Formats: sequence, structure tokens, C-alpha cells
Amino acid sequence: MHETLIRTQHLTKRYGSTAVVDNLNLEVQSGEIFGFLGPNGSGKTTTIRMLSGLLDASEGEAYICGYNIAKEASQAKGLLAYVPDQPKIYGKLTATEFLRLVAALYRVPKEFAAERAAQLLSMFGLAERADELLEGYSHGMRQKVVLAAALIHQPRVILLDEPTVGLDPASARLLKNVLQELALQGAAVFLSTHILEIAERMCHRVGILQQGKLIAQGSPEELRQRVGHADESLEDIFLELTGGHETAELIRSLEEGDNQ
Amino acid sequence: MKIVIPPPLTEPPQPQSFGQDFWLLLRNQLHVTWNKLRHWPFLAWLGVISAGIGLLSVLVYLGSVAYGALQVMPPEIGQGFLTLIFMIGIASQVFFGITAAFVTLYMSEDLELFFMSPVPLRVVFAVKSLMIANSNLLTALLFCFLPGLFYGLLFQASASYYLFVILVGCGFWIMGTAAAALLNLVVMRIVPPHRSREAVGVIGAVAGILVALLFQLPSMIMMQGQSLNLTDWLTGQEQLLKVMGYFPWGWGAKALGAGITGEFTNGLAWSLLLLLTAAALFWVAFILLERGFRRGWISLTQGAAPRRKKQHRDLHTGEFTPSTLQFTVTEHAAGVASPWAGMWAVAKKDLLYMKRDTREWFGYMVPLLLMMFFVAQYLFFQAEQTASSMVSVLVMYTLMFSGNMALQSFGREGEADWFLNSVPLAGWPVVWGKLLGAVIPTLVLMQALLVGTAVAIKVSASLTIMLAIGAFLLTLGASAIGLFYSINNSRFNPESPQQRISPGASMLMYLVNLIFMLILALGMVYLIPPAELITALKAMPPAPVGGGFLNSMGRFFFTISRPLLWQPLGRTMMGLLVTFGSWSLVFFGFMAATVRQSRKGLRVENVTGTKKKRRKLK
Repeated sequence: MHETLIRTQHLTKRYGSTAVVDNLNLEVQSGEIFGFLGPNGSGKTTTIRMLSGLLDASEGEAYICGYNIAKEASQAKGLLAYVPDQPKIYGKLTATEFLRLVAALYRVPKEFAAERAAQLLSMFGLAERADELLEGYSHGMRQKVVLAAALIHQPRVILLDEPTVGLDPASARLLKNVLQELALQGAAVFLSTHILEIAERMCHRVGILQQGKLIAQGSPEELRQRVGHADESLEDIFLELTGGHETAELIRSLEEGDNQ
Repeated sequence: MKIVIPPPLTEPPQPQSFGQDFWLLLRNQLHVTWNKLRHWPFLAWLGVISAGIGLLSVLVYLGSVAYGALQVMPPEIGQGFLTLIFMIGIASQVFFGITAAFVTLYMSEDLELFFMSPVPLRVVFAVKSLMIANSNLLTALLFCFLPGLFYGLLFQASASYYLFVILVGCGFWIMGTAAAALLNLVVMRIVPPHRSREAVGVIGAVAGILVALLFQLPSMIMMQGQSLNLTDWLTGQEQLLKVMGYFPWGWGAKALGAGITGEFTNGLAWSLLLLLTAAALFWVAFILLERGFRRGWISLTQGAAPRRKKQHRDLHTGEFTPSTLQFTVTEHAAGVASPWAGMWAVAKKDLLYMKRDTREWFGYMVPLLLMMFFVAQYLFFQAEQTASSMVSVLVMYTLMFSGNMALQSFGREGEADWFLNSVPLAGWPVVWGKLLGAVIPTLVLMQALLVGTAVAIKVSASLTIMLAIGAFLLTLGASAIGLFYSINNSRFNPESPQQRISPGASMLMYLVNLIFMLILALGMVYLIPPAELITALKAMPPAPVGGGFLNSMGRFFFTISRPLLWQPLGRTMMGLLVTFGSWSLVFFGFMAATVRQSRKGLRVENVTGTKKKRRKLK
């Protein structure tokens, strides 16, 4: 039986009079990969930050595994993992030290932590550089460390903000496999991305956010039916729903110009 | 590849006690600090130790002056003196604590990690507050604990007095930390996240100026000599000290005063009042800080710039349709613009950068502060000697300052060095653009300073004009030298983006500039020979004969001094030749070498911690 692991009720974030996220209602079930799409500045990161407890909502509520993230923060955060788009980690710790710290923060027993850290670093191809300071790591390598850190405590809900940015194709594929495996095991995966191909291939359902409002949600198939073009790609649907069809037309006309 | 991942948790992990979480975060912090120290380069250690010794010397001197003053003071005047020291202690803690709080909280690399972990926020801020308090410890020791300790030793206080010293010292320490954290909240609210590094640079520069002024104190006290009498001064400030008694620094002094006279209850009451007020202030700071971050009142990450409220000019009127775009791209636009436009674009970019990065301004504020110091000295002492030394220092400074500002030029490119390497402007448009960008603000500032100072100290009009022309030539020449060393020795460290040049290159540039100035000075002496020098030259013995370094040097100086005894026409011609010849040689020579290097590709050494990575494009 599927269980609702992420739930928001009228979730709103205002800065002054501007609503960055406006009355957001969504649910993500266990075993589901939910893609969160939207143009730049539409409020995706703000939503994820509210879900992860990094930011208080102005109105409404968010629940992780049934725990209110504002009122039962410790319980909710204990079951949650968040992978930010810009991995900010200690430059003066090694990858192993960092993973052990994260394990300790999430109360993973010491005997498991060391073994799991080694396994995860090995899985992401970082075993050889595990004892180097993180300041010497590239963006992609840091991203892998953060991903490994997100998995170390067996999260039930994983929030990822643009997780494939900076990853090489092999690592991106690995990430996709890991996320699918997590979903199979019953976790809920919530990821924001601009790469619509990833969303189309991986996500069971997607939500499209525009100017803070959820304008559509459902499986890619359901969205196709909604716009009435059964053969269109998710990219076309996205552009149509977000009003980006002028841009699409422009791109098309440029391509035609090149061909002439 | 088969991926085996353990199943997700079904229940949240068991909570830990405050102490366990606190110890976990503290241990991690200590571990990070230890790793940082382990990877510090030797030169950094040397710098810190040297600065530490210098600062300690100044403080020991000031301490001995203060102790000497206390010895001749009656206890009630000594109490007033303590009030002042405590007030300075609180002010210093607030000032240095703001920087520490800003770095610990706003520029922290771990807050996001802790915020999303199941560790309660109060534990995170407790550890962060401890770190801020730790950075204030030295200031608190010097200004809050030690004065009380010495006051007690001087007046042979009883053992109970030292309990008050501890209570009062802790009270001031907590209060200073709390006040710094509170003010830092305002700073964090004002400074947008993407300018946090800039803000720390500015605060650091102000701190540097204050420390430099602190280093001036001993010489100022010595210059004041007998006229400085703290006891007399404090006796005359009775009203002020009475008012000070209503403030926490007055309470601390009252507590210690009561301790000296053996009034235990009175002393304890004042000590506890101070400690409780400090605790209350700390609690308010703690709550506001936690709420500020949690509610997004203070931004957690150093994100992008906020959207500007300013209305941008609408560059496109009418509908922006594919047809209009096609029209513009079909126009042949490449290769027809003048390279002068490219040169000006490079200069304009640098000028805009300098205008928009507050840290850049501090480079230009140093000569202003230096001049203020000299003008103040001139105004107070009105000595003829001060005027001439001021002009010579100013000329010298023009040279060094221009070179130094040009030295920063190519390093300003930072991680964007690929850009100037990739545009079709390599060679003179880039180099002259850089020169223009470095020279315009320097020239305006140094000309204003030189002429302004010359007018202020009533130097003759002809000398003022000569100084203006000299400053112009010096600025251009020194900047050309600076640019050459900049293009070859630039570095970029994202942690301290203002350190843009290797120390060795900087020293070498100063040395070359010094030789350049000496040659120019020689030319100027040929043009306007000082009468005293001519008299001395006439009385000089003939050139020494024989080998050896000293004899060779003697013959060299003898030879170069001969044109001074020539007829005025020959001497002037020689002066013009040496002045403009050497200037042209240096200016055009260094510019040509810089242009050549620019064509090969400019280099910015990427420095991260102790690791260096040299990137060379092209």
C-alpha cells in the first residue's frame, strides 16, 4: 500500500507582498519519483527549501512522512535528505570525514557509518580520493559527495535540486539508477530539474510551477492528454503550459533560417 | 551494475540530548579548525607570529603606561580609569565580534547542512555563539579580565575581589559577544548575501586601519611627553565618569571598586547585575538569530543578486519577433569597430568593477588616510621640515601607489581570465585598456592630493605645476611597470579575492619602481640643481682610483655628478635627456613587454588554500 510521504497544504512563501510560492497543494507517495519543473525563478528551490525545513513557510503546512516540518522538525528531518544545487561543504574535511559527520548528525551508529561511507564513496568512484580535502574537489565530485551524504542515513524522502548539474554522463546515469532503486524500496523522490528528458524518462509524475503556482501535475501521459496533443514531448507540453511557445517558435524559425 | 541500497527508515532516529549534539558539533568544529591550521602555509604562520609579537609589544607598552598611571591614582580615580578601559573593551569586542559573527554565521559553509539535519537549531546556534565568543576571548582578556587583575594586585585586594574580576570579566565577555551578534543581525540584513565577501573585506580594512592607528599610539604618547597626565585628565572628567556609572562598564568598575574597599555585598550586587544583563542580552541575540535564519529574514545562502528595483531602460520597443532577430543577425557587424572601442571597453569594465566592489575603494582610501596623517602633523607642528618631507613622501607614495594599483589589474580578471584571452583584442587594446583603467582613478586622486596638499601648505605655483607634471609622468611610468608584473604574476584566491599578486612580484615591482624614481630624480636634479649640492660638489675631492667595490661606486657617483657642474644649457639638455629618455624607456619598454605577453595569453594563477594551479590559455 502506498503511503503519502510528502504533503503540502496551501504552502505559501511571501517576501514582502510578493508570493514566491503561492498556495501549493501536492502529494507524493512512497515509491514515487516526482519531477518538479518550472522556468527560472518560478519558486522550485524555495519550495524545496520549505520542504527541507531550511525556510519557514509564510502560510500553509508541509508534512514529511506525516510529520509537520515546522512543528516536528527533528522527526521529519531524520527521515529526509536534501541535495542542494550548489553543494556547500567543508573544504577542510576529507570526503570520509564529511560522510562520518553526516552519519553522526543523523544518528547512524558508528559501526555502520564507516562501512557505509566507504561503500558509498566507492559507488560514486571517489574511493581513491576519499582522504583528500574537499576543497580540492571539482564541482561534480562535490556533488557526488553530497549525494553519498544524502544516502548514508537511509532517507525515506529525498529532495534533490537540479541533481545532475555538474555530473558526468556516467554519474548522471548512476544517480538515475540509485533514485529508481530508492523508489523501488519505497522512498519518495522529489527532484527539480530543467532537463525535461530526465523528467520524462524517470518521473512517475511531474508538477509544473509557474510564478509560484502549480499550474499542472500528473504523469507525462496525463499532461499530454490535458493539452490535447498525444504525440508531443514533455518539452513541448512544458513550453505550451508555461507560455514559452514564443521562445519555441523563435528557436524553430532560427533553425529554419540556418537551413536556408 | 547492481546497486544495493539499504531500505529506507520507517521510524525517525532517536533524539539525542542537548549535550550530545553540542559535543558532536563542537568536535566537528574543532576538527575543521585543526585541519585548517595543519594546512596553513609557513608564510601565513610567520605573518601571524610577527603580527602577534608586534601587537603584544604595543599592548605591553600601553599596559605599562596604564599601570604606571594607576600607581599614582587614588582608588576612586582608578575606578574611573577602569570604566574607560571596560568601555573600550566592550567597543572592541563589538567591532571585532561583528566580523567574527558575520563570518561564522553569514559566510558559514555548514549552516545549511545543520539546518536540514535532525539536530535542533538551538544546538547549532549554541556552538556558533561559542565560536563568536571564542574569537572575542583575547579582546575580553586584554580589556576586561587583565585590567581588573592588575587593579587588584596594585591595591593588594583580598581573595574575594578576584571572584568579582571573574564575574565582571565574564559579564563583559558575554555582553560584548551578544552585542556583536545583535549588531551583526543588522549588518546581515543590510548586506545582501552575494556581497558578503565584500562586506567582510570592508570590515577587515576598517579593522586594519584601527590596528594601524593602535600601532601609532606609543609614538603619539611619547611625542606628547610630559603633557599627558591621565590622573589630571580623569579628575577633570568627574561629570562624564558619573554618567558612565549608569552604564554596564560603570557597573563593572563599581563592582571592582567595592571589592577593593572590602564591600562584598555591594560588589557582588553590581557583578551579578552586570552578569544577568549580559545573559539577558545574549538570550535576546540568540532568539533573534535563530528566528531570523529560520523565517528567512536573514538569507541562508550566498545566492545571486536580488532583483533590482530600478526600472531598466527598455532597449527593445515593439514586438520582439523572429523576423526582427533574423534581420539583426543577417547584418555584417564583425570586424568593423575600431580597436579603440575595445580598449575603452576594457578600461570601462575595470572602472565599473572598481566602482561596484567596495573593497576596491579601500585601496584608494589608504593614500587619503596617509595624507590626512601628514596634513594633521603639519597643522599641529607647523614645521618647515614637515612640509618638505610631506611633499617627498607624497611623490614617493604616488609612485608606489600607482604601481600597486596597476599590479592589481590583471588579477582582477580572477576566474574570468579566459574572457580577455578569447576576445580578438589581445595585444595593445587590452593592455592600454588596462592601463587606462588603472591610471584614471589613480591620476585623479594623486593629482588632487598633490595639488591640494601643495596649495594647503602654500608651496609656490611653479613647484605646484612641476609636482602635477611629475605626478602625471610618475603615475604612467609606475603603472606600466605594475602592469608588466601584473600580467606575469597574477593570482586568484576565491577565499581572499583581493590578494591578486604573488608577494615576490610585488617586492620586485617596488624595487624596479624605486630605481625608476632614482633615475628620474637624477634627471630632475640636472634640470633644477639645488645650490647646496653644487657647493658640496665643488668641494669634492677628485674621483677615487684603484679597484674594489667602494672605489667603483665612488667613481660612478663622481661621473654622474659631473653634468651638474656643466654650463646651464648642457646641464639642462642632459637633464631633459635623462628625465624623458629614462621615462620613455621605462614606459614604452614595459608596455611593449606587457603587450607581447598579452598576445601570448594572460595568466592567472589559481590559488586555493595551499594548492596552486596555473592556468595558461592559448
